[in-house]
Amino acid sequence: MSGIGPLEPGEDTHAWDGRPPKAPRPAGRTRTALAAWHRRHRRITFALLAAAVLLAGGGYLHATRPQRPPERPERPRAEVPYPVQVADVTYLDGRTTPADAPPRSFSFAVLLSVTSGPPVTVTRVTQPYAGLSLTTEPQVPFQTKAGSAHKITITMHVTKCGKAPRNAALPFLDVTLRNARAMQVQSFILGPRYAQDLSRSLEVACSNRLR
Amino acid sequence: MRQRSLIAITAALAAGALTLTACGSRDSGDKKDSGDGGGTTVVIGVDAPLTGDLSAMGLGIKNSADLAAKNANKQNLVKGVTFKTEALDDQAQPSAGQQNASKFVSEKEVLGVVGPLNSSVAESMQKVFDDAKLVQVSPANTGPALTQGQDWQTKKVRGYKSYFRTATTDAIQGPFAAQYVFNEAKKKKVFVIDDKKTYGSGLAATFTDEFKKLGGKVVGTEHINPDAKDFSAVATKVKNSGAQVVYYGGEYPQAGPLSKQIKAAGAKIPLVGGDGIKDDTFMKLAGSEATGDLATSVGAPVEDLPSAKQFVADYKAGGYKEEYSAYGGYAYDSAWAIIEAVKKVVDDNGGKLPDDARAKITEAMQGVSFDGVTGKVSFDEFGDATNKQLTVYAVKNGAWVPVKSGTYSG
Repeated sequence: MSGIGPLEPGEDTHAWDGRPPKAPRPAGRTRTALAAWHRRHRRITFALLAAAVLLAGGGYLHATRPQRPPERPERPRAEVPYPVQVADVTYLDGRTTPADAPPRSFSFAVLLSVTSGPPVTVTRVTQPYAGLSLTTEPQVPFQTKAGSAHKITITMHVTKCGKAPRNAALPFLDVTLRNARAMQVQSFILGPRYAQDLSRSLEVACSNRLR
Repeated sequence: MRQRSLIAITAALAAGALTLTACGSRDSGDKKDSGDGGGTTVVIGVDAPLTGDLSAMGLGIKNSADLAAKNANKQNLVKGVTFKTEALDDQAQPSAGQQNASKFVSEKEVLGVVGPLNSSVAESMQKVFDDAKLVQVSPANTGPALTQGQDWQTKKVRGYKSYFRTATTDAIQGPFAAQYVFNEAKKKKVFVIDDKKTYGSGLAATFTDEFKKLGGKVVGTEHINPDAKDFSAVATKVKNSGAQVVYYGGEYPQAGPLSKQIKAAGAKIPLVGGDGIKDDTFMKLAGSEATGDLATSVGAPVEDLPSAKQFVADYKAGGYKEEYSAYGGYAYDSAWAIIEAVKKVVDDNGGKLPDDARAKITEAMQGVSFDGVTGKVSFDEFGDATNKQLTVYAVKNGAWVPVKSGTYSG
């Protein structure tokens, strides 16, 4: 006990104004007073109740209103990319033709690189022209991991000179790629240097002299 | 008493109404997604055909560029800069395109332009933009001369340093189509038709050149008027030529009726075209006999690209009325390239746009590189996209279905 009372009137304390404190209200007195007030102001009570019901109803309706889908849908989960999206094939240069290759053959190298995702397997390499066939070294299928590259030596053999394109501007190779997501065939257009080397090689292969 | 209760009821109703209004205002608040970072407003101009026959493609470009600006604002990608788009209709007309270019140049807040769709329109805009050093990134122009000069086949010379594009050129698209038609569709005799426009005649030329080199034979050529709808005379010539296939350099508003009328003339042969015919409207115009018709398009199918999934989802959520169409992904990337260039310039200038912002942004565009909707986006020394993908589509069951895809890696 410090001997100092509350600075402001608090519970069960009253500011001293010279009047004697009122006797405490008997239990039930409040309900009685409310009931009396309710009898006197029935309409106001009704109005207040109506307002409360309306607000509660409005709140309920708002809370249970049909939800619109979120403005921005959830970001789709990361998926394994398609093999053609992560693999690239570029032309390197001409190569020495293997000694055991048939006549009218020539060789060149391409680089297959894989940028990301699971390993990509090359299951087939073809070219679209009638009159040409090809083999690869390494032989298909072979696998390349993400972040690495594989040099492929391609040896083309001219089977029919009349059906080999002598000066195609944008020749390409069709490469079948497979990864955990899918198997796809992609045409890799290797550009003007490949086009020139192919034309030159075909000219040589299909000239009268055999190599 | 009665009055008092009336007041009370009125108050209650007002409170309820306020509650409901509050719900409504919160919803509309959610819709405000353009962001408002305050500070500087940068306007990205969009030029495309927003009315007329080609509006399906043009509106897809407009909406997609708008989406890019909104996403950049949401991400607060460039601090202190709010992006907005302003779209002008060129009606696929070079003269209108040139007027639009002048208008964009005159508006100081415009710091980059996405568009146009048509190569012929681009030709009329390039000098206007280049003189003002205002960067332009087209999502759809495929004419090789726009970046590599008129003599691009023999000597490539870049004419305008302010011009860039995210689409692959016809120098690749035409030959790729020729290779497919000759080697895979096994068609050796072609009838070539074009609409005399920059895009159409250029594409037909690159196709024809490669088709001949492969050993194919051109059994007839014709030019049509882009304003015409009756192609019966040409269709009869095709029928009598003995062609196994028709190559059309032009756009879908003419390609659709042309395909239909060629088949009606008795030549049940496929019509092949470029990216200009690869729109769903083609099928509506060509009818059920269009099955087997082919189109090449620059880029891979957007739906197949993992990088495009977010774009497709955002576009859907954006509530745009029109489809994003063939160039939506490329338009998004074009706008984003401008945004990236603005970001670079602002970052290099202490967080503010410099006085010569247009020139700086044009310069920065050359070095822009990011993973976009259509894959890696960057530009070579001519302003061409380094990402060169192509797809051959065939009409099957009334829809374009991809049948072959290629990548240029030269």
